[in-house]
Amino acid sequence: MAYGIMDIGRNAFGLSSHSERLRPREFWAVNDVSFEVKRGGTLGLIGANGSGKTTLLKLINGIFWPDKGRITVKGRVGALIAVGAGFHPLLTGRENVYVNGAILGMSKREIQKKFDAIVEFADIGDFLDVPVKYYSSGMFVRLGFSVAAHSEPDILLVDEVLAVGDMNFGIKCLRKMHELKKRTDVSIIIVSHAEYVLRAWSQKCVVLDQGRVVYHSDSDDAIAFYTDEMSKRRLKEEKRNGSIFQSPMVKGVKFRNISGDLMDGINPGERITIEIEYQAEKKIKDPIFGIDFYDPDGQLIGGLYNSYESIRLPDIEGKGVIRVIVDPFILPSNSYRCEVKVFEEEISNMIERNVLETRLLVKKLNNMRGSTKLNQKWECSSNRDGVDIETTRNVI
Amino acid sequence: MKITSYEPDNSTKKGYRSVFTEIASELKENQWLIYQLFKRDFFATYKQSFIGIFWALIIPLTSLATFVILSRSGLFSVGKISVPYPIYAILGLSFWQLFSTGLVASSNSLVKAGSMITQINFSKKSLIFASAGQSIVSFSIQFVFLMALFLYYQFTPNITILLIPVIILPILLLSLGMGLILSIVNGVIRDVGNVVSLLMTFLMFLTPVLYARPETGILAKITNINPLHYLVSGGRDLVLRGTISEPQGFLISSLFSVVIFVLCLILFHLTETKICERV
Repeated sequence: MAYGIMDIGRNAFGLSSHSERLRPREFWAVNDVSFEVKRGGTLGLIGANGSGKTTLLKLINGIFWPDKGRITVKGRVGALIAVGAGFHPLLTGRENVYVNGAILGMSKREIQKKFDAIVEFADIGDFLDVPVKYYSSGMFVRLGFSVAAHSEPDILLVDEVLAVGDMNFGIKCLRKMHELKKRTDVSIIIVSHAEYVLRAWSQKCVVLDQGRVVYHSDSDDAIAFYTDEMSKRRLKEEKRNGSIFQSPMVKGVKFRNISGDLMDGINPGERITIEIEYQAEKKIKDPIFGIDFYDPDGQLIGGLYNSYESIRLPDIEGKGVIRVIVDPFILPSNSYRCEVKVFEEEISNMIERNVLETRLLVKKLNNMRGSTKLNQKWECSSNRDGVDIETTRNVI
Repeated sequence: MKITSYEPDNSTKKGYRSVFTEIASELKENQWLIYQLFKRDFFATYKQSFIGIFWALIIPLTSLATFVILSRSGLFSVGKISVPYPIYAILGLSFWQLFSTGLVASSNSLVKAGSMITQINFSKKSLIFASAGQSIVSFSIQFVFLMALFLYYQFTPNITILLIPVIILPILLLSLGMGLILSIVNGVIRDVGNVVSLLMTFLMFLTPVLYARPETGILAKITNINPLHYLVSGGRDLVLRGTISEPQGFLISSLFSVVIFVLCLILFHLTETKICERV
């Protein structure tokens, strides 16, 4: 509070506020962040909660000034941030569209021209002339978003607002943003935690951590970096919270083919033996071993868990090997990331967060169609000149 | 395309002359926004209320009633008043209300807008100006009631009553100016909003709104230097007598109001972003 008065006082009297210095109990919410977004460019902002993303958006929006450095913006900035700002509960939707539009910087003529489009997009039907306090939260958001989306700024700031509303609305929003992008070549800066949103909407991404830029590159790389960072952090956090084992429990994973040879690439449809070497420092009762196979997009394609098959393994202690035999291994051809996990008694009781990761390649053969090898048997029967001819061809 | 750049101490760097042009263009661009915000507050106040617009009359009527009772019972002397007391009181109260409701509304307007300010970049001055519009509406309603009183007491006001729109300008500017700066301080120190409301009641009793101008004593001395007195009684005299009885005082107070307004407008412009960080 005292700082507030001081700042106001200094500004009022035209004194420089020396804002580049931190006073006691202040911290940099955003520090040493520099980037450029050209017209039509799209940038994603990723970061943990509290890393400064929203503050950065507010700075670009001009809500408050930076304490150090400079921000230059060409054109009008619009934000899909506080949808429905300025909505007064007692006013009807119609009245609120005008208020909200005016607050967002639209002129009277603009709103009148776009009014029908705004109402149609929001799809609230007769509720337009009902006081907004009777709206469901979805309708509220739809109307607010509709006004904001039609304000056609040169630069659009989006702050995780696409998470609200039902699925149909989400699709509508994205489509509208697509349309905006195509029509007006708007520049977009988007903050999101959803991978698919970032991939679809940003060419490049900036990863923020505690106010600083820690990575700035193409979206795919940035997302990978961020997820890595997050898992590393989670690991550290959980180690600190006390995992009983000091060294990893799963020591290694090996894949063997039908002849017993070690491989990391197999032909589809083959028999495969998976060997898990473990070392249990403490006795584990009713262990559950799980091996999950993820494709490059992060989708879980298949997994092996002894608990799913209602198979109980004996209690384990010390060193040992667990073997799983899969015949045939029917996962489609792909490069899989395998995660090996261990649980005690229940899947909710995961012993080792330090999941062992390895890779397994299921090869694609030449005589395969697509990525799945299907065991096939072909038959043909035809009728010619009244005589039945049967020909059978088997293909295995 | 408009190029905006944000730097620390933005406004102060650019110099005072640019401040004027910035303020002027901002107000010009946002006329419709001010109107919309005013409309919003207006409808919101009166929509779900049964008494509705008549709220504007309740306060002056209750104050009037209190004073009538006090003076009739001999506890308080309202002094020498040549016109029927209700007319005198309501007239004074209407002008006073212009100032007090305007000031209270503006000082609280930024805090009331709350999240809107921290999430959208829009003209905050518009909020202040729109809230002042409220006081003009109440003033108009009270004036209509005044007309009714004139009819009842068969009192004909002077032709100068037509000058009312001009005469209320100084007091409006004073209330706007103080509202501008108080709204900023209120954003940082929330006590200010409450203090202002209390202060208004106190000030009203300090100013000869409901009683005649005191000739002697400490109250007389205070009244001599109270700009509000000159602005309120100036308006009142104009309606009742046709001239302003203390023209010098009125002129100085008007000048004072204009100066305050301009100064506070500039101050607001220089400091408005600071409360976005803290409100």
